[in-house]
Amino acid sequence: MAQGIRAYFGHITDVVTTFWEGLSVTLSYMLRRPITVQYPDRVEKRVADTLPPRYRGILEVDTAVCTGCMACERACPIGVIKISTDKDPGNPKQRVITQFDIDVGKCMFCGLCVEPCPTGAIAHTREFEATRKHVDSLVFRWVPDPAKPVPFYRPVKGQDAPRAPVGEILRRCLAAASWIERPSFLPEERKP
Amino acid sequence: MAIDMKIERQILRRTETSDEEIVVNFGPQHPSTHGVINFVTQTTGEIIRRSVPEVGYLHRGLEKIGEMVTYPGYMPFTDRIDYVAAMFANEGYALAVERLLGIEAPPRAQYLRAIAGELCRISSHFIAVGTMATDIGAATPLTHGLRERESVNDLIEELCGARLTFNYHRIGGVSFDAPAGWSDKVLRFLDHLDSYIQEWDRLISFNQIYVDRLANVGVITREQAVDYGLVGPNLRGSGVQWDIRRDLSYGAYPDFAFDIPVGTGRFGTVGDCWDRYYVRVQEMLESSKIIRQALAKLPEGEIMAKVARKPKPDAGEAVGRVESARGEMLYYVVSDGSEKAYRLRVRTGSFLAMGIIEELSRGIMVADLIAIIASLDIVAPEIDR
Ligand code: SF4
Ligand code: SF4
Repeated sequence: MAQGIRAYFGHITDVVTTFWEGLSVTLSYMLRRPITVQYPDRVEKRVADTLPPRYRGILEVDTAVCTGCMACERACPIGVIKISTDKDPGNPKQRVITQFDIDVGKCMFCGLCVEPCPTGAIAHTREFEATRKHVDSLVFRWVPDPAKPVPFYRPVKGQDAPRAPVGEILRRCLAAASWIERPSFLPEERKP
Repeated sequence: MAIDMKIERQILRRTETSDEEIVVNFGPQHPSTHGVINFVTQTTGEIIRRSVPEVGYLHRGLEKIGEMVTYPGYMPFTDRIDYVAAMFANEGYALAVERLLGIEAPPRAQYLRAIAGELCRISSHFIAVGTMATDIGAATPLTHGLRERESVNDLIEELCGARLTFNYHRIGGVSFDAPAGWSDKVLRFLDHLDSYIQEWDRLISFNQIYVDRLANVGVITREQAVDYGLVGPNLRGSGVQWDIRRDLSYGAYPDFAFDIPVGTGRFGTVGDCWDRYYVRVQEMLESSKIIRQALAKLPEGEIMAKVARKPKPDAGEAVGRVESARGEMLYYVVSDGSEKAYRLRVRTGSFLAMGIIEELSRGIMVADLIAIIASLDIVAPEIDR
């Protein structure tokens, strides 16, 4: 009997001590610095700029250095990339790209298309915010006008392709789509 | 209004006193089922007569997709098989196709695979133990676990560019070498982890209420665990020392010394929910050991073997087995000599864990069923593929 009572109260003591043990860990977090990032409106720096360089964000194509080899189109397992080429009507020896569409709404950001590109024309940026009102608007047309096609780039031996800095072209594209209003549920943007 | 109350009281009395059976659909949209699974549960009051898992809500035909895309093109799809620990899904597939092609990844790639895999195991186990505590009723540990997982994700993101669907492995190697200064960051995290596990134990593992809630609940005996084909921590929780990393070693694992924690029945019987829980906590420390050894011995050299862009293996079949966070993950690939697989089969740990639930659920309380499901570390997409 006495043993039973001792076990009973011993158990209660165990519960209380281990409970306080756990609670002391929780309470110690009152004194530590929080690591929460208040995305999206209370960050010191744009989140896209804080990501590691290998981050696989929205794809960007610098058509000026695209050789039109279509390796990226063939590498994509789900057919996100659509490239059409044609002969240049003015110069039959020169081939041109008339269409280079990437359906970002369908893309799974796997990076398989970036690997075979000989010039680095197609690359992942660190951008990930491209909200649109309709999913069709997520098709990025890197040759905007089929009437103004882009000639194939011819790689020069022993020389790197003059690729524009990754992310610049895409940022310009995203900024041009100025009709993306700031959602009403976000608080006013704070002036620095 | 008064009549309503009367009827309600009558219903209450009936369920309290009679042994009338009620069939409850526990799921498919229930936070404790860890995904979209339905447990069709026959209950009498609080006692469960029988609970049968009904799977398939997350079936996406990933095995069929394997027959429709090229061998390298299937790699991003393997991420979706088990998105909580995608590294292992990548690795198993890469191993199977490498065996089919008769090639092997270079040593540096194999070490990087081991490091990335063990990091991924840590992050996956933090989800497992954190959600388990939440299901039992302790809300805080999950937030702590998720915070640690985010630090691991930061490291993996730096390595391969993604936080969830890594797509890091390639057939014949890995896609990226470790960036400069990365190994120091990993070591710093491991130092933090080793001390953090102690804090975690103080926070929840040895909390008497938590222990009382799990000890002697859902006991899986050694024989049962083997008979039902359980794998991974669920099997080791029952005291069976079986780990693919040691017993059917692959990749760089023969080079590392590590222990295989098993359930000991510290607070109850061997194979109860607490044992399965604590095996996972200890495995995180073992992973930390493996990563330290791998970083110390990391060989120089290539990270990719020579593989054609669209490989066409000779007709034949191959099996890739890896020890994922949820136990053995097996890929079976059949080739007919073309650039797409003829048949692809995936066998996963969570699916094997579903079989034993009906057996365990007889005669237990409803709340214990939740503890059992949580302790088996089920990830719904891995069950259904
Ligand atoms: S990232 Fe993957 S899914 Fe997206 S376009 Fe490239 S290959 Fe296709
Ligand atoms: S983006 Fe690169 S891979 Fe794609 S067509 Fe142009 S050069 Fe070839």
